[in-house]
Amino acid sequence: MYLTKEEEHIYDGEYGWAKQVCMRILVKLGELFGAEKLIPIDSAHVSGVSYKTLGKAPVDFLRALADSGGKVEVETTSNPQGFDPEYLAKRLPGELMHGQFEITRILERIGLKPSFTCTPYYLKDLKAGVHVAWAESSAVVYANSVLGAWTNREGGPSALAAAIIGKTPDYGMHRAENRMPNILVELEQKPKRDIEFGALGIFLGKILKDRIPLIEDLGEPPSECLKQLGAALASTGMVNMFHYRKHGVSVEGIAEKLKVEQRTIKATVEELTTAGGQKPNLIFLGCPHCSLSEIKHIADLIGHRKVREDLELWVCTSRHIKEKAWEYVRRIEGSGAKVVVDTCAVVTWTQELGIETIMTNSAKTAHYAPTMNKAKVILAPLEECLKTALFE
Amino acid sequence: MPPEKILKGRGIVEGTCRGEALASRKPISFLGGVDPQTGRIIERGSDIQGECVKGRILCFPHGHGSTVGSYVLYSLAARGLAPLALINERADPVVVVGAVIANIPMVDQIDIGAINTGDIVEVDAYRGMVKIL
Repeated sequence: MYLTKEEEHIYDGEYGWAKQVCMRILVKLGELFGAEKLIPIDSAHVSGVSYKTLGKAPVDFLRALADSGGKVEVETTSNPQGFDPEYLAKRLPGELMHGQFEITRILERIGLKPSFTCTPYYLKDLKAGVHVAWAESSAVVYANSVLGAWTNREGGPSALAAAIIGKTPDYGMHRAENRMPNILVELEQKPKRDIEFGALGIFLGKILKDRIPLIEDLGEPPSECLKQLGAALASTGMVNMFHYRKHGVSVEGIAEKLKVEQRTIKATVEELTTAGGQKPNLIFLGCPHCSLSEIKHIADLIGHRKVREDLELWVCTSRHIKEKAWEYVRRIEGSGAKVVVDTCAVVTWTQELGIETIMTNSAKTAHYAPTMNKAKVILAPLEECLKTALFE
Repeated sequence: MPPEKILKGRGIVEGTCRGEALASRKPISFLGGVDPQTGRIIERGSDIQGECVKGRILCFPHGHGSTVGSYVLYSLAARGLAPLALINERADPVVVVGAVIANIPMVDQIDIGAINTGDIVEVDAYRGMVKIL
């Protein structure tokens, strides 16, 4: 790999251990994947924040980085942590809170924003064509496919290394020739609602592995539906991107074609539902975190109805969006629902909260909750989730 | 004494060492698969479950699982429980990053089927060489 003089000095340790080890991570990964140089990035997004999913694994390394002066060079956001300060902190054991604080305090010393969201793209507009280094697979697919930004699917450590250097190795999704579709996906029917987009993603992810599809016949669905599709796609596959517009994309020479029948989508939804008749004790909306317009839509759908006493309704989003959406938040919380920030059902300790069955409109959550939460799952459209959660 | 056998691969993280091999035929997930407090393999279904990686040359096809697994290698090294070297068939980002931050010599593109637990091996990760003595 070609390194500038300054990059070489960093690699040799002249700027301290923190920068050296981060530079070594980037160069070794670059060499592994055939990069020729490092390129500057606009922002980074770091995953591996929740103490529930990590335990103490990152503490030693992150503390060593912070102690030797590691600081981010570009704006760096953080993925969700393990709890919401308002609603969940007091219901969870103190030792878990302590474990989470230990990680988040170190990340703040390194200069990460305490944004705690899987949708960093709602915090700041991402311009098409910018290079970023993002972890969190759902955000990676959304950035590449919907926003037109360029990012590889980073891991927590490599995104952090890129943040501290302000650069990333130039390979994979940072190169135009690797962003073209190589398989055509034909749909028997256009997906109509949230769970159908999600189920399509779950199904395609298993088949595509890391191939980039051009999904024909999707039209111009709401960006929130594309968010569901991308999040699900990344849950079951190593896919970094999908195309849904033919504009600017060459379909010539794509030999592979896949046809998705409507009954496959239906069967996928059914497979993701694992609760055989059990009633949910949590209705969870907001995986990935809700946008402002989703919050408004949920507030409108709830109307004057109230949440049933035998269950909880969580609407998860970032603290940034919750603040912006305060008017709708007040209406949602007036129903007895909780607008939960900084976390989500998957990365918090639902078992400790006594939650056994989760109903959600997110196929990604439906995919992960059986293992991550040891919970039974019901996958249902937004309207049906609300109908179950609320008194008529 | 049987003749020594030389396997040629690719050096990923520099270093040299000599030690006893601990060889698994299955991928290893460091997050949840290796106990950072003891260095023992705790991954269910692993063919080296219960073994300790400390001071051994850990041979396995490749890593799998969470990217945060890299941090576990650092924690092992910080506690003096790290393997002497890592030998893979195919380097993947989780293990590469782990080897870099923990400063553990690493070689890939090695037919790890040729190495058995208990073999004494010499690793030259500058040249990507593994010698079975």
